[in-house]
Amino acid sequence: MSAVTARKSSGALGWARSAETGRILGTLALTLGVIAWAGADLFRQDLALLGATYALLALGMYLPFNLAGALSLAYSAYVAIGGYAVGLVATKTGWPLPLAYLLGAVASAALAVLLGFATRRLSGFYLAAVTLLFGVAFQSFLLDAKDITGGALGIGSIRPLTLFGSELDRRTFIALTLLAVWIVAVAVDRVRRSPFGVALQSSRDVPAAVEAAGVGVPAMRLTVLGAGAAIASLGGGLFTTANQTIGPDTFTLHLVMLAIFMPLLGGQGSAWGAVLGAVLVVELTFNLQIFERSGSLIFGVAVLAVLLIAPGGILGFAGQATRWLRGRLARGKGAQEKGARP
Amino acid sequence: MTVLLEGAGLGKSYGGVHAVDDVSLRLSAGEVLGLIGPNGAGKTTLVDLLDGAQPADSGTLSIRGRRLTGPPSRRARAGLARTFQHPHLALDLTVRENVLLGAAAPKLAGVGGLLGGLVAGAFRPSGSRFDGTLHRVAEALDLGDLRRRCGDLTLGEQRLVEVARALAQEPSVLLLDEPFAGADAAGIAAISAAVRAVREQGCGIILVDHNVDIVASLVDRIMLLRFGSVVFDGDPAECMASPEMQDVYFGTGGERVVP
Repeated sequence: MSAVTARKSSGALGWARSAETGRILGTLALTLGVIAWAGADLFRQDLALLGATYALLALGMYLPFNLAGALSLAYSAYVAIGGYAVGLVATKTGWPLPLAYLLGAVASAALAVLLGFATRRLSGFYLAAVTLLFGVAFQSFLLDAKDITGGALGIGSIRPLTLFGSELDRRTFIALTLLAVWIVAVAVDRVRRSPFGVALQSSRDVPAAVEAAGVGVPAMRLTVLGAGAAIASLGGGLFTTANQTIGPDTFTLHLVMLAIFMPLLGGQGSAWGAVLGAVLVVELTFNLQIFERSGSLIFGVAVLAVLLIAPGGILGFAGQATRWLRGRLARGKGAQEKGARP
Repeated sequence: MTVLLEGAGLGKSYGGVHAVDDVSLRLSAGEVLGLIGPNGAGKTTLVDLLDGAQPADSGTLSIRGRRLTGPPSRRARAGLARTFQHPHLALDLTVRENVLLGAAAPKLAGVGGLLGGLVAGAFRPSGSRFDGTLHRVAEALDLGDLRRRCGDLTLGEQRLVEVARALAQEPSVLLLDEPFAGADAAGIAAISAAVRAVREQGCGIILVDHNVDIVASLVDRIMLLRFGSVVFDGDPAECMASPEMQDVYFGTGGERVVP
C-alpha cells in the first residue's frame, strides 16, 4: 500500500516538473507579449512600466504578508528608497546604476528588518501600526531633508542606465524591466513551493508547530520582511530610472493600500496572482477613461466582488474551473469508452 | 542505559496555582515514559516546559548532559520533537508538505540557513532531497496519498500526520501529547508500532495520554501526576495497582475533591 503511494507521489513530482516548465515558458511568452504590445507607443510603455513597478511591489508584499502573514505597511518607503537610491547615485556619484539597485535593496531590507525586530515580540497589529507610522514619517522626511532629497522638487535629470558601454533607450529599458519582473515572479513562486516556503506558510497558521520543528519563526519573519522590502525597492529603482525623475509624491501611502489587495484580487495561491492583480490595478485605475476619478473605487468594489465570489482570487477561480472542466471531460470520455465496449 | 533527558525541580505557576510543582524526571535512551493523570494535573504544561513552548519558573533541564534552554526551535535542533494535544497542521498544505516541514527544519535553522533556504528555494523548489525521509516516515505510519490537503483529513489522520512530522525530525527525544485522541483503531496501531520502532533505535519517548490501557501496554515506566506533582513514578503494573492510582482515578481516598 505505502510502496504504491511512494511510486504514485514520485510520479506526481514528475508531473509537477512538467507543469512547472509549462508555467515558466507560458509566463515568459506572456511577458514577451507585453513587451511587443508596448513597443514604441509611449502611453503603452507608461502602462507597462507602472504595471511592472506595481507587480514588484505586490511580489514584495506577497512574500511576507500573503505567505507568512506579516503585514508591513511601510512599502511606500521601501519603493521610495529604491527610487532615491537611483536618484542619488545618478546625480551625486559616477557609480554605475545597477549598484544603486543593490544599495536601495540593502537599505530597504535593513530598514524592514529593523522595524520588524522592534515589534518582534508584539502581535502583528503592532508591526502594521509601526510601519504605517514610519511610512507617514518617511514622506515628511523626503519633503524636509532638502539637502539630500531635493525637498518637494525631488531629483531630476537622472541619467539612463548604461549597459556594456551603451545607453539604453526607454523602450529597451522597459523591456528589461518586464523581464526582471518575470524573473522575480518565477523566483518567488518557486520559493513558495520550496521547504522554506512550506515553513513560511505553516508559520502563518501554526507558528508553534514551526518552532517545535526547529525553525525560529521570528528570524524567518524578519528574513522575508527584508526580502520583500528589497523586491519592492527594486521596483522603485527601475521606475525611477525609466522616468529619470523622482519626487516625494511619486510613491505615496496610497500605493500600499493598492498593494495589499493586488495579490487578493489576482489570487493568493501563487506569486503570479500578485502580478495579475498589479496588471488589473493599472488597467482599472489608469486605462479606463470613463472611470478616471473613481478608479480606486472601482478597484475596491472589484476586490470585494472577487473576495465574495471567488476567495481564491482570479487565478484560484480559473484553476477551479479548469479542474471542473477536466473532470467533466474525463468522465465524458470514460462513459464513451464504456459505451464503445460490446 | 544512557540518560537522554534530565529535568530537575521544574516548576510553573499561573498566579497562585502550581501547574507544575517541583517535578524531576529522567529519560533514558530506548525508554518509553508514560505521563498520566487527570485533567489539569499539569501533563501538557510539563511537556511545554520540556519543549520550551512555555518558560519554566524554576528548575533545570539537560539533554545528553548539555543544558537545554531557549525557544522550542533551539531545543528541536538539540534533538527534541513534539506533537500537540490539538493537531497543529497547516490545513491549506498537503500531507507531504506538512511532513516535509519536520524533515527540512534543521536546514532552515539560523539566519544563514534561512537565507540559504530562501535562495535555494528559487533554484530547487521541490525539496526532493528529503524524499527518502518522507517516504520512510509515510510508510511507517501508512499515511496514504501524500497529496491530500490536511484540511480534508479526519482528526485521526491529522494525528498521524503530526506524529509523522515529529518523526521526520529524527529526534532523540520524542514528546507525544495525547497522540491517540481521535485516532481510530488502525491509527492507534500505526502510532503504537511507530513508537516501538523508534524506541528500538534508541529514541527516548514521553507519552502523555488519558487512555491508561494503551499507555500501560506501551510504556516501560509511568509517572502519575496530580495537581502538578509526581505522586507515583515506577513500573506500569505496580502503578496500576498502587493506592495512588486508585486515589487519583477512582477517588477511594475521598479526602480531596478535584475542582
